[in-house]
Amino acid sequence: MLKNGVSPKSPRNLLFLFEVLSLFLLFIYQWESVNRYTYITGIGLIFIIYISNLILNRISKGDNYIFLIVTMLISIGVIMIYRIDSELGVKQLIWLSFGIFIFYLTYFTLRFIRGWQKWITLYIGVAYILFILTFILGTRKYGAINWIQIGSFSFQPAEITKILLIFILASYYSNTEKFKKYKNAKYYIMLIVYSFIGLLFLQKDLGTALIFYGIFVAIQFIYEEDRRLILYNLGLFAIGGIIGYGLFDHVKVRILTWIDPWSYIDNKGYQITQSLFAIAEGGFFGTGLGLGHPEFIPLAYTDFIFPAICEEMGLFAGIGIIMLFLILVYRGFKIALSQINPFFRILALGVSILFGVQSIIILGGVLKVLPLTGITLPFVSYGGSSVLSSFIVLGILQVASEDLPIDEDLKLEEENNEIRD
Amino acid sequence: MFNLLSILFKYVFIIIIYLFIFSIIRLIYLDIKSINPVSADDSAYLKLINRMDSLPYKIKEHYSIHGQLTLGRANDNNIYIKDPFVSKRHMKVTEDEGKYYLEDLNSANGTFLNEERIFDVVKLDSGDIIKVGNVEFLFVNRG
Repeated sequence: MLKNGVSPKSPRNLLFLFEVLSLFLLFIYQWESVNRYTYITGIGLIFIIYISNLILNRISKGDNYIFLIVTMLISIGVIMIYRIDSELGVKQLIWLSFGIFIFYLTYFTLRFIRGWQKWITLYIGVAYILFILTFILGTRKYGAINWIQIGSFSFQPAEITKILLIFILASYYSNTEKFKKYKNAKYYIMLIVYSFIGLLFLQKDLGTALIFYGIFVAIQFIYEEDRRLILYNLGLFAIGGIIGYGLFDHVKVRILTWIDPWSYIDNKGYQITQSLFAIAEGGFFGTGLGLGHPEFIPLAYTDFIFPAICEEMGLFAGIGIIMLFLILVYRGFKIALSQINPFFRILALGVSILFGVQSIIILGGVLKVLPLTGITLPFVSYGGSSVLSSFIVLGILQVASEDLPIDEDLKLEEENNEIRD
Repeated sequence: MFNLLSILFKYVFIIIIYLFIFSIIRLIYLDIKSINPVSADDSAYLKLINRMDSLPYKIKEHYSIHGQLTLGRANDNNIYIKDPFVSKRHMKVTEDEGKYYLEDLNSANGTFLNEERIFDVVKLDSGDIIKVGNVEFLFVNRG
């Protein structure tokens, strides 16, 4: 319909083609282990994604690019996970279908329940309860106590608390007038956020602590009227970092293996050096799916999925992933700029910062640009809680991309209706 | 056999990923180019309600109103819509002493204000929805 040659259909069809081809290739690769169940989940997901992209245009008047971008990311991710470990791949397929369901659930609950900006105490309360639960029930996985295991089901509460943090900040900064009557409200909010960061530090979950800090500083930088607070924050960060380095061994190890992983190649630096080898091995076009050795990298299916993709699908695919994240974050900021409802505006901002910071931290980590902290690459890595929380966050962004009424507008509308009646 | 396929497919995959990125960037570019920034001194404008890429003809997101704004199928209108349901000269919005009035110019399929067909000159309030053919506009008056 558009003369310029690109119709809205074309990225959707490209995505479909990509998925079908990769499914075909993977089934040839794992010919012996493929059963009917795998077939059905694989083909099922392709259709869920295609139909979701189609329906979303109809039901949502908002942005229709973010879901497309994300479905491309999850397709690349799930192919790689399936190639590394077919069992995990099938699990991830199920998580993704569930994630898309959660996306719609979030979309409709956020859209049809009003008053989200009023429940700041609820968000704070739930966040603290989740932290306490983690300390009581938490199990240690890969050095951090951040998992709660109930039966065979385990999840990461920090994935939920980071969404709660965005809600807390959004409801605080969209109601600053209301909070002005408490004299020190801005210090209280800082204290709460720092207590979250401190608790994460105690759980040794450094990556998530960094995400919390990034979101807080960015939103404060945009909305805080008292500019001194931002300087205090940066100062506290520097001091906290230095103290953390001196006090905690696990922080020291991260810095050491970042500066010189080659001296510790046999134990602590093994992961990061393997990651660099994998990226170098792949070259620009990669070795081809199934022809590389991503199994040499520990945890190649979660945190270290990026070097695995670079090895087998090439550096160009890796650059492609970074570009997809760039467009996603850019769309997020654009959505925030055009949203007039202040609460959803800050939510959209927080969400885009979350995607940006999280992908920078882990991509920088595996490329040895930043000290390595174990967090997942949103949408690409394997992991139930990560997939679900990412889709909740995407649902928030989808709602924020629509024209939402401000509360004052609502009142005006009602008055107008009365007059007309 | 598998090795050959895999080596072939890696190029195909990279090409598809980049075509995908390119087409999305292209669509976003078209989206941005069509945004006509509303300057702060504009007090009244029409905002398109339909999703822009669902309409098969050229149309902008915002039309600011200065004195008079005409809509129709002919090219010399302020807003021209190549829709068979739109008459050559379909309707106009005029400003008079800070108030805005909507008038149908004897169009074949009519102009609808908030779902009701209009026959006379009607005063516009902020938030009114004007429908012409398949296209819907929101009237916004910030003055």
